Formats: sequence, C-alpha cells, structure tokens
Amino acid sequence: MKRRNFIKSICAATAVAAVASPSALLAKEAPKGGNLLSYDAAVAAITGGKAVTDSDKIKLTVPEIAENGAVVPVKINVESPMTEADHVKAIHVLSTKNGNARCADVMLTPMNAKGYFATRVKLGGTQDVVALVELSDGSFLRASKPVKVTIGGCG
Amino acid sequence: MAEARKSMIKFKPKKFKVGDIIKVDFIVIHPMDTGLKKNKKTGEVIPAKFIDNITFSLDGKAFTTMKVWETVSTNPYFSVNMKVPGKGKITVDYTDNTGEKNSKSKKLKPKG
Repeated sequence: MKRRNFIKSICAATAVAAVASPSALLAKEAPKGGNLLSYDAAVAAITGGKAVTDSDKIKLTVPEIAENGAVVPVKINVESPMTEADHVKAIHVLSTKNGNARCADVMLTPMNAKGYFATRVKLGGTQDVVALVELSDGSFLRASKPVKVTIGGCG
Repeated sequence: MAEARKSMIKFKPKKFKVGDIIKVDFIVIHPMDTGLKKNKKTGEVIPAKFIDNITFSLDGKAFTTMKVWETVSTNPYFSVNMKVPGKGKITVDYTDNTGEKNSKSKKLKPKG
C-alpha cells in the first residue's frame, strides 16, 4: 500500500512538473534529437489551457497538395483593426503531426497595420497546418487546413 | 564575430508613400537543419542548425519579433506588413540555435 502511494506520488509529481513549466517546453536549448513537442502540448503551452475558438476571421492559405513537403507556403491574414486597443498580438504557426509541432511564433504590433504573416514550412507528411492567433484582449482564435504531402520534408 | 550570411530585405511595392501599408519580406540563406538528417557519405548526424529568433526594427525600435523552429524551410522566407511612418532604416537582427548572430538593414525611403 505504501509503495503504491509512493509510485502514485512520483507520477503526480512528474505530471505537475511537465504541465507547470510551459516555458521549459518552449525553451530553446540546442536539440540533440530535435525540439519534440506534440501539437496538443504546444497548444497547451501557448494558451495555458484557455479556450480557443475556430474563426473565419483568419484566412489561412496553404496548398491542398504539396509535392515537396520541405517547402510548403503558408499565408495567414487575420481581420483586425490592428489598433493599440484591438490587434493581433501573436500568430502561432503549427502543424498537427510534425515531431515538433511548432513552426513559428510571430509577435505583431500596431505598426504592422495588418494581421498578416507568410512563410514556408516543412511538413513530414500529410497533416493539418494550424494558425493559432492570440488577440490583444488575451483571447485565442484558430484556423486549420489539411495539406496532402507526397514527399515528406523533414528527414 | 558573426559570419557574413547572405540575406535580403524587400519592400513590396518598391515605390510607396508615407502612410502606405507595404509588405516587408526577409529572405536568408540558412540550412535550417533539423538535426534529423544523416550525412549520406559518413553516416554522421547533421547537427541541428536553425534560425531561432528574429527582430524587425525601425530606427532601433522593434515592431515585429519572431520565434522560429527547425520546421521552417531551408533558406527561409518571412513576410509581414508595415505602415510607413516616414523615412528611416529597417533592421532585421536574427540569431540561430548555435549562437550565430546576424543583422541586415535597408533604408526606408518613401516618396512624398
């Protein structure tokens, strides 16, 4: 009985440690095997568990089929006045199945004038690309689109 | 001392006025190695080497910052918008996970 409680407490402690330090999960130590982080864990680290609403205010443009998973163009446009009082604070570009679900976090300011960001990402295989958007009022919006990948881009 | 690395800042459109919203594109030659690939000849793992932080500034004041991971493509491209407040200098400072630091600047010259 004592041993069972001891093991339980180790598991609980590990779980608390893992959840309690999202900054550690996002930390940038040089990876030996890569910055592995699942999509769900990445979202939890970014939002701190806050609700995320799917929104058509986010226009996410990705190809339906990517011939080359190493270079997948991603374009994001968030409808926003981009004023000091109401703007896109951050656009987080994620993928649902890469070993490291994070691609880029873009912290915008009113000087950007538009909630726009574009880049090119690697996709290891067919999966969704997700735009997780943080607004200045602290709320989170999301849009996601599937991309069929014929040749994976990570290895 | 930082390696000289090839990079480019592009404004789109090239000609603009004060108050216009332009695109600011930044492209840099960088391997963005994930640390997952092996050298096919030696079998050795190619260590991870990727840009991890980027700051866009106008006359020394940051207006956009980015955290970037190895999942961004090789020779990466980053694009944001900016409302032109007047003449100035855009600087992009970037670092990679191995500690390499680089900087690129371009003058912002609005017409009228």
